[in-house]
Amino acid sequence: MHTSKYNRPLVVSKAVAAPLLEAHGIGKRYGGVRALRQVSFDLRAGEVHALVGENGAGKSTLIRVLTGAVQPDEGVVRLDGRVIEHNSPHRSRALGIAAIYQQPAIFPDLTVAENIALVNEPGGLARRIDRGARRAQAKELLRAIGAEIDPEREAGRLSMPEQQLVEIAKALGGNVRVLVLDEPTASLTERETEKLFGILQQLRERGAGIIYISHRLEELGRIADRITVLRDGETMGTRQAADTDVRTLIRLMAGRELSAVFPKRAVKIGETVLDVRGLTSAAAGIRDVSLQVRAGEILGVAGLVGAGRTQLAETLFGLTPADSGSIRVAGSEARIQKPEDAIRAGIAYVPEDRRRHGVVAELPVRANATLAILQRIAKGGLLQSAAENALAETWVSRLGVKTDGIDAPVSSLSGGNQQKVAIARWIATEPRVLILDEPTQGIDVGAKAECHRIMCDLAEAGLAIVMISSELAEILGMSDRVAVMRGGRVTGVMDRAAATAESILELALG
Amino acid sequence: MNAMRQRAVAIAIFWAVLLAVLAWRAPGFFAGSNIRDIAVINAPALIIALGMTVVILAGEIDVSVGSQFAVASVVAGLLAKAGVPLPFVALLTAGAGAVMGGINGALVTWLGVPSIVATLAAMAFWRELLRWFTQGAWVQGLPAGFQWMGFGQAQGELAILVCAALLFGVMVWALRNVQAGRAVYAVGSQRESARLAGIPVSAVSFGVFTLLGALTGIAALLDSVRFSEIQSGAGAGLELKAISAVVIGGTSITGGRGNTWGTLLGASVLAVIAPALTFLGINAFWEKAIQGAIILGAIVLERVTTSRKMKAHAR
Amino acid sequence: MRVENRAGSERALAFLIVLEVAVFAFTGPNFFSAANAFEVVRLGVELGLLALALTPVIVSGGIDLSVGSMMGLCAVVFGYLWRDLHLPIAAAAACTLLAGLLGGALNALVITRFGGAPLIVTLGTYSLFRGIAEGLTRGVDNFSQFPPGFLYLGQGYLGGLVPAQTPLFLLFAAFYWLLLHRSIYGRALRAIGFASDGARWAGIPVNRRLALVYTLSGFTAAVASLIYVAHLGQARSDAGTGYELLAITAVVLGGTEIMGGRGSIWGTLLGLGAIVVLQNGLRVSAFPAELAGILTSAILVSTIAIGRRSVGRAAAGTAVTQEDGTEEEEMKNSQLAVLSAVILAGSLIVAGSNWWLVQSVRPAASGGAGSAVPAKRLTLAVMPKAKGDPYFVSCRAGAEEAAKQIGADLIWDGPTDLDPAKQNEVVEAWITRGVDAISVAVVNAPGLSTVLRKARAKGIKVLTWDADAQPDARDFFVNQATPQGIGDTLADEANRIMGGEGDFAIITGALTAANQNEWIKFIKARVAAKYPKLNLITIRPSDDDRNRAFSEAQTLMKVYPKMKLIMAISAPAVPGAAEAVKQSGRQDVKVTGLSLPNMCKPYVKAGIAESVVLWNTGNLGYLVVQASKMAVDGTLRPGATSIDAGRLGRIGIDGDQVVLGKPLVFTKANIDQYDF
Repeated sequence: MHTSKYNRPLVVSKAVAAPLLEAHGIGKRYGGVRALRQVSFDLRAGEVHALVGENGAGKSTLIRVLTGAVQPDEGVVRLDGRVIEHNSPHRSRALGIAAIYQQPAIFPDLTVAENIALVNEPGGLARRIDRGARRAQAKELLRAIGAEIDPEREAGRLSMPEQQLVEIAKALGGNVRVLVLDEPTASLTERETEKLFGILQQLRERGAGIIYISHRLEELGRIADRITVLRDGETMGTRQAADTDVRTLIRLMAGRELSAVFPKRAVKIGETVLDVRGLTSAAAGIRDVSLQVRAGEILGVAGLVGAGRTQLAETLFGLTPADSGSIRVAGSEARIQKPEDAIRAGIAYVPEDRRRHGVVAELPVRANATLAILQRIAKGGLLQSAAENALAETWVSRLGVKTDGIDAPVSSLSGGNQQKVAIARWIATEPRVLILDEPTQGIDVGAKAECHRIMCDLAEAGLAIVMISSELAEILGMSDRVAVMRGGRVTGVMDRAAATAESILELALG
Repeated sequence: MNAMRQRAVAIAIFWAVLLAVLAWRAPGFFAGSNIRDIAVINAPALIIALGMTVVILAGEIDVSVGSQFAVASVVAGLLAKAGVPLPFVALLTAGAGAVMGGINGALVTWLGVPSIVATLAAMAFWRELLRWFTQGAWVQGLPAGFQWMGFGQAQGELAILVCAALLFGVMVWALRNVQAGRAVYAVGSQRESARLAGIPVSAVSFGVFTLLGALTGIAALLDSVRFSEIQSGAGAGLELKAISAVVIGGTSITGGRGNTWGTLLGASVLAVIAPALTFLGINAFWEKAIQGAIILGAIVLERVTTSRKMKAHAR
Repeated sequence: MRVENRAGSERALAFLIVLEVAVFAFTGPNFFSAANAFEVVRLGVELGLLALALTPVIVSGGIDLSVGSMMGLCAVVFGYLWRDLHLPIAAAAACTLLAGLLGGALNALVITRFGGAPLIVTLGTYSLFRGIAEGLTRGVDNFSQFPPGFLYLGQGYLGGLVPAQTPLFLLFAAFYWLLLHRSIYGRALRAIGFASDGARWAGIPVNRRLALVYTLSGFTAAVASLIYVAHLGQARSDAGTGYELLAITAVVLGGTEIMGGRGSIWGTLLGLGAIVVLQNGLRVSAFPAELAGILTSAILVSTIAIGRRSVGRAAAGTAVTQEDGTEEEEMKNSQLAVLSAVILAGSLIVAGSNWWLVQSVRPAASGGAGSAVPAKRLTLAVMPKAKGDPYFVSCRAGAEEAAKQIGADLIWDGPTDLDPAKQNEVVEAWITRGVDAISVAVVNAPGLSTVLRKARAKGIKVLTWDADAQPDARDFFVNQATPQGIGDTLADEANRIMGGEGDFAIITGALTAANQNEWIKFIKARVAAKYPKLNLITIRPSDDDRNRAFSEAQTLMKVYPKMKLIMAISAPAVPGAAEAVKQSGRQDVKVTGLSLPNMCKPYVKAGIAESVVLWNTGNLGYLVVQASKMAVDGTLRPGATSIDAGRLGRIGIDGDQVVLGKPLVFTKANIDQYDF
């Protein structure tokens, strides 16, 4: 890997010191899913330790254990060699462990300054606030990371990248000894990313330890000292960043060579099924999007977080109706104002946020699988349980959903099986167009392969599939064509043959 | 925030119109003595509404304040009758309120009972317990120094207003300038984020109920000292009045958004309706209907104005 | 596991009901009988309909606080259409149902179209509906004399045993069961309640489904209102006051999750059953009525707390798979254990208070009626209009004195607030218990008369006091003073104080209070006939709240500077108005009215309240108990011209009325002689 402009040797000398933070033998289960198994991890003062792994590998759970947001079922966390008893976010924060989570933990109704101060100032609830000092501190911190945000603005009105910057400022504010960053650069521009790296460098020089989670493996070479790979809740070993190339990392993460992962089959491509022209929605932030997808075709949609991919899907599905432009399905114009219209037109959408939108976790598998076709399993408004059970059983077996039965609540299923239920719900509507938004995010490798197989089957059956994914490998591995989005627009469409990681990134970053 | 401000603005406009009509048809309404009387009578309700604002800001609700108010009134009366000096009566009454509020808080925070259920139960519990205990009897024969806290009427009224103003000022200040105040907004806004940010969310939830209880106790005392005897059935419907004042004032019922100034506005509107009807010679029978219409009107107006703004913004 | 959990909570509730029945079968005579079981059903119907309607609303994650007010509005609309617009009864009923539908649709519109939070929106309509009902009737109007065919719906029996409203209730229960458990709407509502976004993302028309339940809720409230009117024989704007909270309690007690998603009609029926059986059992056992509220809230909080903790534990991340079966079982057992403990504690309180009551009565038994051989102790039941009202509290002292003297057991119970339906329930419970005489201060004559007739048919002597029922529904009326007597005395007092001319205002109790409205009628008549120079400028409500009376009086003095007199005709309103006059420092405004001398003493002595009118309440209570005893032993029978009423001496009888005497006028000169 190429050498960083930051001075690593200086750090390495410190890196021989005893671990600053150490997690030992951590295990954690969520319902039926084993999120972490016997995970051990250590962080030295003054080092950047990267944590990589596919979605659902257990990275987020591990950092939540470290910050006390989640209690592990087994194992201990030590700081300076002492076990942290009764860990909680409050306690870990007081000990100098700060975290920036993937989803900004912003209080939309408070000002930026307050958001920053709320977690940084020592003392209890009864203490008086010095508003002036808060403002000054916030200004200072924001300037340090090069963000030009008025500290008095309401945080809820900031854009996603701005919120991310506030999160970073928040984490830097206290007397940080351990800083955890979960995908901090996902929504940052190049310039902001550079600033962030500069700050991290200052922090490590001060002797702080940094845990860095990123999917941008290329970044790691520049910033990390060591890299630990997680897969399916287990550590696949820790390596010196300098000695590790991207290919090795990918092999460790995926457990096999990249090419073997995707079961993409060539199927017969038919007529154009989905024809979108000049689609614009101010509410969704979509501008002049035109796309065509043919029967049997998988269109991959790539782009950075915030590029408008999910918003495009939500516009197509009628969740945020379009202001102008046309959507034609199988040749006929579809006026889509609400999801029912989309379903009637033959568009189905498996959303990104599975737990909030994809399934109703508390309802049984049976009810989830049939939720979009209630009319079809009812006579005169009354549910026909025989019809419902038959349908649910069919889809459960056809998609290979592993469950105790169709009456088990979806929450008792593993992530991958939950996703299969979400897909079953939409295939059951017999759509012409299936939009899958991050279909394999947060599910284990086996389930992931099954999802990909299902997608191929569906394509073979003549569906037009739109697959939104942040995982470049998935986009490259599954798509017949790739559309890249940036800032609510489609910046380019490439054939499978022409698409490479570099060309996609180029279009995505602009 | 915008939407909520919109509601407050809609209410403010309604209020301005009402005042204008009063100025036109019944200028006597604005006599200093009338304003003072309305303020004195409604000061206790305002104090409770302040506490309710904090509870609603934290994402909870309390429908038991009317019953707490009745219990605290009788407690104050019994203490005063037993010869306890007035400052201690005040302290103990606020304490009794805090205990009742604290029980609500404990049920909600540590037993996980949703606040509407817990306080619904508390509402019936305290009211019936008080009825059982007093059998409807009033507390009579209070010491002479009880009424007006021994100050005499003019100073007593002033004292009530000063107390209310002081509490209002402290609440406005504390919600902005004390960490706990900001924590209330944070908890009501995003409970999980607040927990991750290290805010002791349980303590905050428990605290807001206790605070409301204590304020209800103080309000009960300030209400009681206007008279020379204490009725045992006071405060019926006070909970809905307080919640209405908060909601009309633009505080979001789901928490995190709103402020005490809005509540002051809401409480003022509700305080003015009944006397305004009498001044305008409108029949009292329509009072409840008008109250309800104001709440609905505020919701509709808020929505209409914000959606127009959103459209304008989109273009 | 969740299914298990729900079944567990329903089992716990069923267990609770069984426990209640067991306890009350022991403490309440005739509680455990088929007739009483059907009475319980009748008492639960209106509340039950509201609870049924609220179940899908709460399952969808919303709430409807307006159902009780909707009952009031529908009652008034129904009465108005039938009596004033002369619609046939069926057409009036149909239009009333339509009104309910529209009211529900208003809730639905504001919630779905304007995005109002259900709690706030229905809080608004809670005021609005009741307010319109009061406005339409100007507070005072009420509708009665409905045709018997209609009243049968609320008062009749099918086959002599089953209350007539039962089939309708079962129909609604079945309908709501189908809706929530077997229809696509119920499925959608559940999804919406668990995750409103998740439902929307699944293409469910969330707004339309929500609109359906709120509209249905309005419609069902209208049905409940019709049954309520038929049950009580009278349509008033205060119908259903406070029912919304009790209905929500039943729903939540039945295991429906207040945050939405979970809930069942069975659970609601069980929760309703637990509440209604508790209320009825306490009454039949003659335990204090206040216990019902206290026990219900204790049971509610403990069940929810237990349920919540177990769900919370599961959600907190402990596994939800097979191996948790044992933990689950423990939870259910502990749930049952805690519930039993709560009930046990409740019964202990009840038993303890009962023991205490018996203790306090016993000395009377041995010391009072010395000479007579106590073959059988009489049980005399006396009901005030409202238990907590200071006026009736002062009556009670005399009643207890009399019971002690004659060596009878006195049951003194009644509604804790002014709810006409509650009086019916108490009388029903007394019939079941089998008391010797019932004496009632009637809130609502047409409604109560049916039940009183039933009591007479069972051989119980029935007297009325304070306010009369229909004459054929009771044996005697103990008349403290006729409404006309009161009206005349008040008008005469007003004339005396005002020196024959000038403006005066009336502060009444609640706008809907029947007594006060009757008095006002006679005051107006007397003024018109005899004192043409007196001018009644306005009538304001005080809701029987001293503080409200205070502020009303304050405003009145400012708006009507020439006003010379405030006539307050509710006991707490006189001191309230007098305090306002005192604080204003005005010497030219006086107060008079109907109140207790003790409450008003300071004001009468200070000359602010020139006079207070009332009869001797202690004597009234004393006379009621004496008369009911004599009615039982036959001394007081038709044709008697006077009775020997203990310390009151001979009391005259006028037809079927026992007359206490003229109202007393308390003034500075004589008020110290009275202590009540």
